[in-house]
Amino acid sequence: MGFKNFEGADEEFDLAQMEAETEEMLRLRYLNKDNAVFARTAGGFVSLDIAEGEKGEPEHYDRVRVVRSFPFTAPTTYISIRTTEEKSKEIGIIKDITKDVSKDTRKMLEEQMSLRYFTPVITKIHDIREEYGHAYWDVETTEGPCKFVIYMNSSSVVSLSDVRLLITDLDGNRFEIPDFTQLSAGELKKLDLFL
Amino acid sequence: MGKKDRKISAEITATGKLPKEIENGLRERGIAESDVLVSVRTDMNMSCEFTPGWMIVTKTRLITATADPLAGEVHYFKGMETRKTRASDRDREWTFAEYDISDVKKAYIERSVSGGFLIIVHKDKADPEADGAAETVAAVSNHRMGSATKIERICEKLADGKEIDEDMLKDDENEDYCPNCGTMYPDSDRKVCPKCMNKKSIFRRTIAYLKPYKWRILVMFLCYLATAALNIVWPYLNGVVLYRKVLGKDETFLSFLSIDGNRYVVILLLLVITMVMTKITMQLVGIIQGVMTAKIVPRVVKTMRNDVFGAMGKLSINFFTSKQTGSLMTRVMSDSDEVSGFFIDGLPYFLINVFSIIAMAVVMFKLSVPLAIVALMFMPITFLVSWRMLPRLWHRYGRRHRATRSLNSKIHDNLSGARVVKAFGQESSEVARFDKSNEKVRSADLAVMNYDNKFSALYSAAENLASLMVYIVGAYLILIQNRFDYAILITFAGYVGQMTGPMDFMSFFFRWFTNCMNSAQRMFEIIDAVPEIQEKEDAVSLDSIEGTIEMKDVTFGYEKNKPVLKNISMKVEGGRMLGIVGRSGAGKTTIVNLISRLYDPQEGTVTLDGVNLKDLSFKTLRGNVAMVSQETYMFMGTVAENIAYAKKDASRAEIIRAAVLASAHDFICRMPDGYDTIIGSSGRELSGGERQRISIARAILANPKILILDEATAAVDTETEQAIQQSINMLIKGRTTISIAHRLSTLRDADTLIVIDEGKIAEQGTHEELLAKKGVYYKLKELQTKALALKGIE
Repeated sequence: MGFKNFEGADEEFDLAQMEAETEEMLRLRYLNKDNAVFARTAGGFVSLDIAEGEKGEPEHYDRVRVVRSFPFTAPTTYISIRTTEEKSKEIGIIKDITKDVSKDTRKMLEEQMSLRYFTPVITKIHDIREEYGHAYWDVETTEGPCKFVIYMNSSSVVSLSDVRLLITDLDGNRFEIPDFTQLSAGELKKLDLFL
Repeated sequence: MGKKDRKISAEITATGKLPKEIENGLRERGIAESDVLVSVRTDMNMSCEFTPGWMIVTKTRLITATADPLAGEVHYFKGMETRKTRASDRDREWTFAEYDISDVKKAYIERSVSGGFLIIVHKDKADPEADGAAETVAAVSNHRMGSATKIERICEKLADGKEIDEDMLKDDENEDYCPNCGTMYPDSDRKVCPKCMNKKSIFRRTIAYLKPYKWRILVMFLCYLATAALNIVWPYLNGVVLYRKVLGKDETFLSFLSIDGNRYVVILLLLVITMVMTKITMQLVGIIQGVMTAKIVPRVVKTMRNDVFGAMGKLSINFFTSKQTGSLMTRVMSDSDEVSGFFIDGLPYFLINVFSIIAMAVVMFKLSVPLAIVALMFMPITFLVSWRMLPRLWHRYGRRHRATRSLNSKIHDNLSGARVVKAFGQESSEVARFDKSNEKVRSADLAVMNYDNKFSALYSAAENLASLMVYIVGAYLILIQNRFDYAILITFAGYVGQMTGPMDFMSFFFRWFTNCMNSAQRMFEIIDAVPEIQEKEDAVSLDSIEGTIEMKDVTFGYEKNKPVLKNISMKVEGGRMLGIVGRSGAGKTTIVNLISRLYDPQEGTVTLDGVNLKDLSFKTLRGNVAMVSQETYMFMGTVAENIAYAKKDASRAEIIRAAVLASAHDFICRMPDGYDTIIGSSGRELSGGERQRISIARAILANPKILILDEATAAVDTETEQAIQQSINMLIKGRTTISIAHRLSTLRDADTLIVIDEGKIAEQGTHEELLAKKGVYYKLKELQTKALALKGIE
């Protein structure tokens, strides 16, 4: 959709088409193994073919963006498949990635998501030192030891649930503690400032 | 860095920053050092493992090199990374990849939640318009996002066959590091290194605030000293003098006072009077010191706040919108309290306490060495108890404070959303939500009380243990060894009691000191912050301007790595009107922000009458630009004051004239207090249209050469819009006008229109030209007239 279809177009303004476009904007399309075929591309992306689109004709997308609608609370359901431009549009939604698509497709899409939602999980806290409005963290993560700095304000450490913490550093890099009650008493004490 | 006159490429390689292995790798690919245009660091490989890497651009090629990840290697992020701690480039296995820039159609960054991937789209051999295959070139965390955006932009320019300006090639890697300690600045916009802002200089600067009050502070100091001295005298009078000399009928003492023997009642009376006088003096000294504190503290706080507020005013708008400084701001005001409180209360008290403790110890040792040892032996215990326990207690207090604050914000949230809560019938679930927060406060409260009790019990136990031991040992010495008398014991008990106070104080003094230094640091950070938008020293002042505005290849983003405007070029002749159209979020307001120089563009220039805005004096610029925007801000004050905001000396006649022109005069006169009606946060509520008209009157009175209308009529109904539109038509005569509007009918009179889409100019021309083009503008126009007409709206 968008304005580009119109550039250089010679046709008169068509109200019916405009309404069709608006309708398209308001539509929710579910994708599953019956109507959508995902495939790996040479460049490491995922392409999508829909044999029978809304208007009956086949749709093809060279690469799609795979986005979770509920990245924290429901990572495997309501996966939005989108186009890749800056103002990306939704192509369709996969309701449940564990049921609605083949194992291969699931693996493919989950690979894409693991890149998109890459977040080191903190497994051990060596030290958290507060100084001058910043907190200096020295931790062990699933991605190796990390040392990072956060601002001392409420938005740097957000609790996603009663036990789950999301930590955002100065640059906006994310780290996660899935369950802080699993940490040792000593580590908890260091973390206490943010609970 | 090499000499300035060297070529850029030579300068970069002159730093020798590329590791040997990579230089060899480049050489194998036939790339000499001098071919390298830019080299930047990355910090991930393509499977999102942290590992150092490089991206190198020459005129024709993009080369990436990624090191194999090492197990257990520490990854340092911003604020922790220094030149020393940075992941090592030496002795590693590198994987190279090479891309032909002539084959690149475009490059973009696919953002992930905490980083991104640089993706290049190749040209399609068959169809030059279409995109060819895409591939991921590099992965970065947000830490190295700057590298990725830099390469993205350079690839884009090279692919378009454009020249790359020197600014883009500038090796700014070292600019982000503190020259002193080598740590990366936590906030690259504000080059303040928290580690290097040393405590000594903060201390000295804070002391400077107290200088004007040095005499009063001296008096206060003397008061403290007197209190300390009297504190030492008191147990002595109470113990040694009373028991040994008076009750013990010490002859020498009597003859020393030249009073005849046996007149003990007189002596006793004299002693009682002395003791009463001592107590009175102590109280008096306390009062004087209190008065002094009350006099000095508020003044110092006032000066500090004024300094901070003054500095804040000078700062660029960016400073206020960036989140972390926003929270900083609110703290700063309480910081000044903290700082002056510490310096006026804490510091002298600390000195006095040191003095008291030493003096008391000396007196105690003079009276009895063994007893002094026993008494002092227990001091560390009380000290330790409070040293260990007080921080934890404070911690619990802090938690309670946070819980209460969150509860309060929940209440506030709920009250301001009362309409929604009621409309959706969610009262009971809101109660449940409230209960959850309330429960947190309760448990935090409980934790405080529990620990407080524990602390008090332990502390007084330690305190009592100390005096008990003194009594036991003292009694033992008196009874068994008959070493000294009861008088000394009483004196000792007094000292022990008086010593716990200072000890207690010492245990939290150091924490107080750190807190105060933190507060002072935050304060000076704002006072010292260098505004991004600065007036040049030799800024040009223009007496009269024509009002020609031109933007040349402007690229700008509020965040360095996220451009909102890309290569915008446009021109408005003086006295003409430019209309800006585009979807919300397309960058319209951003253009206006650049023209009024609330921000400086990252690339390209904005000129007024051919003078770069950066070279123009603030007086010329701000004196000639006025803005009427969708958000109308009314300051607290009267209507007249609000209209005359930009021209304080405006006469009443001028104010009325402006109001009439803005068709505001009528409704103003209808209000009971007329032009003297108090408006603003606590005053009379004005409707959206009324506020809008007042802000137009404000602009009329300011009489600017350049007028910016940012959705000036978006928030009002159609009828009011018509009225306001008329006032605006009056207003724009003879001025350069830049108007942003959703409703295209507003822009019909514009001499030029530009259509912004995704930060770029999609179309440019007059109303007729754009309609003939049948592009974006045409579509918008049709949407607004035909579609709305069909539904009977317009």
